[in-house]
Amino acid sequence: MGFVDKLHKFVNYELPKSPFFLWIAAKILVPFWAWRTPVKPLPGGPRYSVQPGDNVQRMMNLIMPLKDKSPVGRARAAQAIAANKDEIYAGLDNVGTVHFARFVIVDDNICMFSVYDGDFTNYIRDFIATIGSVFDSVVELVEGGKDVIPSEQNVEKFIDWVHAHDLYQVPDTVTDILRDQEAAGGDTSGTNDLLELPREIILQLHVNPNVSLGSGYRAYPGYSVAQVRERFGIGW
Amino acid sequence: MGGLSLAKQLVDAVIADFPDHKPGTRPIHTIGVGVEGYFEASDVAKTYCIAEHFQGPRVRVQVRFSNGSGSPKQHDGWSDVRGMATRFHLKDRATDLIAMTLGEFFVRTVEEFLDFTGHAHQTPISRVPLLQKILAMIQFKVFQRDPYPEQVASGDAGTLDYANKHRFAQLSVVQAGDIGAPVSYVRASYHAVHTFIITGPDGVRRPVRFSWKPVAGVRTTDPRDPPVDVYLKKELENRLDQWPARFLLMMMIGEPGDALEDPTQPWPARRVRVVMGTLTLTNVAKDQEAASEKIGFNPWRLVPGIEASGDPILFARRDAYQESQQRRDATPCPFHGS
Repeated sequence: MGFVDKLHKFVNYELPKSPFFLWIAAKILVPFWAWRTPVKPLPGGPRYSVQPGDNVQRMMNLIMPLKDKSPVGRARAAQAIAANKDEIYAGLDNVGTVHFARFVIVDDNICMFSVYDGDFTNYIRDFIATIGSVFDSVVELVEGGKDVIPSEQNVEKFIDWVHAHDLYQVPDTVTDILRDQEAAGGDTSGTNDLLELPREIILQLHVNPNVSLGSGYRAYPGYSVAQVRERFGIGW
Repeated sequence: MGGLSLAKQLVDAVIADFPDHKPGTRPIHTIGVGVEGYFEASDVAKTYCIAEHFQGPRVRVQVRFSNGSGSPKQHDGWSDVRGMATRFHLKDRATDLIAMTLGEFFVRTVEEFLDFTGHAHQTPISRVPLLQKILAMIQFKVFQRDPYPEQVASGDAGTLDYANKHRFAQLSVVQAGDIGAPVSYVRASYHAVHTFIITGPDGVRRPVRFSWKPVAGVRTTDPRDPPVDVYLKKELENRLDQWPARFLLMMMIGEPGDALEDPTQPWPARRVRVVMGTLTLTNVAKDQEAASEKIGFNPWRLVPGIEASGDPILFARRDAYQESQQRRDATPCPFHGS
């Protein structure tokens, strides 16, 4: 392989990953293109749907920044979950539309990831009714959370707050992000050039740093909690 | 336009995209390998579909894996769509399932197909100059990959131009551009792309799409390595000498509102997905002339229990495949009683 060939191979595969280019990209190129062709952050939460299969096993991915960004603050969040274990399980059993729910601490964020059936607002409404006190004890530790608690007295405000913290769900099909940006009026580049697709994605992740990738793998797609429980003889 | 003249037009349009096409060979998916094995339906398959190969007993199959190009020159290591055509040999007939590594097709209608193939003509390519590559990088744009050794032309520029003008083609063009080369024919997922309508024992008809999922997993070659032109057949022989290779046949069930007649549109991943059976490949066929070159598949070779949807591309494929088989003097396989 000659020198020029090696140079091309370097530019093709090594330069884009090199610390030099990554530094230039982060410090100069991203800010420049974000200024030149700004995009709006795409809204989080599940997509509007009317088909049965789209209404089951929906994802909620909440990333909530803690007010106290120290080990003490993180411990307080962990304690809030641990102290409410009975309330959480009782609520999940009774709501009956949740496949999985997990609380996770990532850096200085308390996160709640869940897979549920049905409408998002009803899902949150059900939880406010059954375990609103648990939400309150977690949300009061989160930036901006004080304004929406107690949740039972701020139902709609609380739902909006949760929705605002729910991550944008990047479509399974990569080109659909262009359609999402157009639909949201969040694409000012006006491009229809597929070669610019990487930039569109970079700029969206610039304004929307935390996203959910794809609609998620499901081992038994299309079935609700109620159907699974009924089929296995473990409940309604 | 009559069915046969349209079929001729479609085959001619595809051949025109490969200037070195060799008469007497397939217009696309020219290079391939025939493999033998068997299919065993899952326990639940017969509850969804009354077709004979889903009823339980083991069914003998022939599979032809192929590279997507219509050129007679073999370039296994080039990034390209791969094909997997499967013939199920039933008691007194046969049925085919034709799939490819691309999940969606480029166009929705025959007219669009002719327009697309017109755009996909090969044009000369050369390596993008270094400065242009760097310019693309600072704009966060994709730049055309370096041509492979010996590659002097490509249809990529035309297909990109088409996709930039036609949104329905964007997904498949992006996916095809990034598809790579599999390390093995049995380490890729293959999708039948079109919607079929199946009938269950209770008479319920369901729109479905089929995919083969490799038990060995999906893996492509490292694009940084120089491409190897000839390895896929040998790899398969070596692999099957050691152990059979398997695929799961997955069936996705569509819902009202899903694109039943548009192969450019994917269905949401949230649709019910059923394991319909396992394909076991045991050996590369000894007679490659019969098992790969002469064998003629057709997506319309169906059996009771499976019908074609109203997809215009699927409809056009029936006569186009017949036309192509006649031109290359393929072994006739009638639609019934084969």
